[in-house]
Amino acid sequence: MQMPAAPTETKVSIEGLQKFFRTGHTKVIALDNVNLAIPDGQFVCIVGPSGCGKTTLLRILAGLETPSDGRITVVQGDKNKPVNSMIFQEQSVFPWMTVKDNIAYGLSMRGLDSKGKDEKVDYYVKKVGLSKFAKAYPHQLSGGMKQRVSVARAFANDPEILLMDEPFAALDEQNKILLQEELLRIWEETRKTVIFITHSIDEAIVLGDRVIVMTAHPGTIKADVKVEFARPRGVYELRAQPEFGKLAYEIWGLLRDEVLKAKREEGAE
Amino acid sequence: MSTPLTGKADGMESQLEIAVTAPGAKGFHIRGDVAERLLSVFSPLLLLLLWEFLVRTGLLDARFFPAPTGIVSTFWALVSSGELFNHLSASIVRLAVGFVMGATPGLMLGLIMGLSPMIRAAISPMIAATYPIPKIAILPLIMLIFGLGEMSKYVVIAIGVFFLVLINTIAGVVNIEKIYLDVGKNFGASRKNMYFTIAFPGALPLIFAGVRLAWGVALLLIVAAEFVGAKTGIGYLIWQSWQTFSVEAMYVGLVIISILGYVSSLILDELERILIPWKSLHLSA
Repeated sequence: MQMPAAPTETKVSIEGLQKFFRTGHTKVIALDNVNLAIPDGQFVCIVGPSGCGKTTLLRILAGLETPSDGRITVVQGDKNKPVNSMIFQEQSVFPWMTVKDNIAYGLSMRGLDSKGKDEKVDYYVKKVGLSKFAKAYPHQLSGGMKQRVSVARAFANDPEILLMDEPFAALDEQNKILLQEELLRIWEETRKTVIFITHSIDEAIVLGDRVIVMTAHPGTIKADVKVEFARPRGVYELRAQPEFGKLAYEIWGLLRDEVLKAKREEGAE
Repeated sequence: MSTPLTGKADGMESQLEIAVTAPGAKGFHIRGDVAERLLSVFSPLLLLLLWEFLVRTGLLDARFFPAPTGIVSTFWALVSSGELFNHLSASIVRLAVGFVMGATPGLMLGLIMGLSPMIRAAISPMIAATYPIPKIAILPLIMLIFGLGEMSKYVVIAIGVFFLVLINTIAGVVNIEKIYLDVGKNFGASRKNMYFTIAFPGALPLIFAGVRLAWGVALLLIVAAEFVGAKTGIGYLIWQSWQTFSVEAMYVGLVIISILGYVSSLILDELERILIPWKSLHLSA
């Protein structure tokens, strides 16, 4: 397999992004002057204290919120592909659809013919190890299996960029590691641009090519840390490397002040 | 453990025995189940026998409580003359037509109001103001407008059904987790698909609860409507029996209504199992 050319072409650019919410007469700034350029094929993880607006940022990228100011550009390589697909936090899998119908959702909404659709869906059903459960309803699945459905649904939709909003936050530690491995394995095949929100420094380093640290409220970018482990990566082996600990220490150093600041503000309110 | 209990009174020993046999000893439970089932079959039969006995001995006034055997023979007479079938089919047709006439707009408006806060805000006050009016109270008005024919029966049932289906559909859609709507939006669902793939299936369990309630109200309304302005139907049978003092036929009408209610609830159970597999599977698991 030929690797795509050196990832220099910018896929996503965020310029001067601002988002505020109005509650009564007070204006609450959630995001302030966020600037970010993401090359094609990069896996970017965003960490920040809770309430820093990282989920808001992702929701704006997903088209679920509108920015108050600034510009977002996603370079669209193929006009037939959807711009983005999101892997949501837990419980986003439709309980009234079977596993297969859930995974096919994006394709069905785009009106793909059933032949092309079935092929793609079957591929990802198998990929996430749910072949035996293709006709099952989500309530028959464990939490980890439901999240696999959510992952498969986004990948099957074959978007330009993938957005992930703490998709594994609700899982237990063991399941989390398994799903991180699977996510990387599936991602290696396509190397799509990914923006991954997490509150876990570990997860950010294990998955990302780059970790963006956000400040406490109002959210803006504090630091941009490169993660230069070779791919394909072993989620578990990586943790044994001394570089891993150093990076985690560095990122925590950047994040710590912000977490404390967020905590102080919480207490002040 | 058992030593302090030996030599105690009988009651204590039998308690001990139950405690020992209960876990794992299936025989004990099955015997209990069979006993319960037999009891639930025989107790109504016993009551009927007692009823028959009291009427025959003159302890119960046969003018108000005719003997069960008398009711049964009237029932057969009504069946073999074809009269009962005519009444029953007339009522069922009215129920079915009226139900569809009410449930369809109730469902559609409920989905639209559920998804659109603006439309909900505009229409809700009118619903809240008109819903509490007892539907039987507007029956005379409906008959004035639609005459004594079939249409007035359809309309009164439709109105009763409409409100219950509407209110439950709105509640069903409003209570759908917001994240599902986000998923729909993110994956490019059109307006039409937001209704068909999210709002409707997401609200279906509550819609079905509304359908159940509405069916009960429809049964109530059909009898009332047939009391006053009909020449056929179970309600008419009951009312006419009162006017001609044929109490046994009146009881036949009452029994038919209760059977109709029971059978339709069984059908609704089955329908729910087919239409909402993700819910019924959950219940049986």
